[in-house]
Amino acid sequence: MSVEEQIKDIIARIVHVDKAILSREGTFKDIQADSLDVVQAMVAIEETFDIEIPDEEAQEFQNLGDLVDYVEGRVSGKEKV
Amino acid sequence: MLEVSRKITVAVDAMGGDYAPEEIVKGAILAAQKSDVEIALVGPMEILQGELAKYKFVHDLPIRCVEANEVIGESESPAVAVRRKTNSSIAIAAKLVKSGEADALVGAGSSGAVAVSAIQFIGMLEGMDRPAIGASFGNFAPNVVLMDFGANVDCKPHHLLSFAIAGSVYAKKLLNIANPTVGLLSTGVEEGKGNELVREAYPLLKNSGLNFIGSIEGNDILSGRANVIVCDGFVGNVVIKFSETIADHALEWIKRRLRKYPPLRSVATLLFRRMIPMTKMSYEAEDAGGGVLWGVDGVVRVAHGSCRAPQIAHAILSARNAVKADIVGCLKSGLTESKKEGNSLRRYSYVR
Repeated sequence: MSVEEQIKDIIARIVHVDKAILSREGTFKDIQADSLDVVQAMVAIEETFDIEIPDEEAQEFQNLGDLVDYVEGRVSGKEKV
Repeated sequence: MLEVSRKITVAVDAMGGDYAPEEIVKGAILAAQKSDVEIALVGPMEILQGELAKYKFVHDLPIRCVEANEVIGESESPAVAVRRKTNSSIAIAAKLVKSGEADALVGAGSSGAVAVSAIQFIGMLEGMDRPAIGASFGNFAPNVVLMDFGANVDCKPHHLLSFAIAGSVYAKKLLNIANPTVGLLSTGVEEGKGNELVREAYPLLKNSGLNFIGSIEGNDILSGRANVIVCDGFVGNVVIKFSETIADHALEWIKRRLRKYPPLRSVATLLFRRMIPMTKMSYEAEDAGGGVLWGVDGVVRVAHGSCRAPQIAHAILSARNAVKADIVGCLKSGLTESKKEGNSLRRYSYVR
């Protein structure tokens, strides 16, 4: 399963939304996720991909696509190492 | 009960609370004097050592200091602050629990910061969406537990279902009620009453497989009709803090009414203090103040921000008792049973 699909699965599970409504252009605000939803999603993503997402970098994400791209970058970086 | 042969270690956020660090450190000392608990005080080392230096006998006590050079203030957004200040006292205390260096955590700072730290660094139990602070009303309504009373001021319907499941486990395992009744706190007993959150949560609870008896109103909170009362943390916090003060205000009212009859006033005061359970509840609240954060994979005890040393000591001992009672194991097994019975939260998702 792709990184994007895995991230969508995590968000759908935590925020209790249908995965089909999640798009790269969408934001946590669009799906009415509150701050604890976001924290839980970030923790789950960090655990799933065994990475840490510093809050300073997380603040830069404009939408789900940015988050997916960031995680993909970190995962591929780890694979190269 | 969990067999714990070694001493239980409680990590205490020394910088959280209205009277931190003075009263927190003093409370830790009281707890260490009263019981066989070990304490890890977490905060800036210089401040902790300065506080401990005020007490001559402290070297004999099982208290150690753990450095944390950041502090999260009450006015900060918990979700942002905990992720940014990973060396804050509450974060480090939570990490001690995660690593196994401590068995439990006590925090009297922002409830939100305690909850976020617990989610971030200790983790949630499978089957729980949100942590909730749960507590009973003491002797006044011994068979009633309220969830949540402050961890989540804004909730979604499935969170309330999550609280109901945790509350049912609490009632079964700690209050020994075989089939606890669950009530949704509302402004009327009819299904269509209440705000949007309550109206959306109602069918979830109705179809949950739990022993849901419908909505209950405020006048039924203490009646025991519902063993588990479910509400969001905003409402729960108001309810619990209001109920904790009723006795004190009632006593003051009696004293005022009887001020012209001193002997009668003394007798009435004595009787009220000794006989009326609400008074006892009030005093219990003074001793306790707070509750266990249910749903995270470790024992986390939230204390009121206004706690002073005796209440902090009580919270530490209560956390130790929660470890001994294996409340996390109880909730885990309860959630597994609940899942087998079909009360899974995962069956529900919003269609927006």
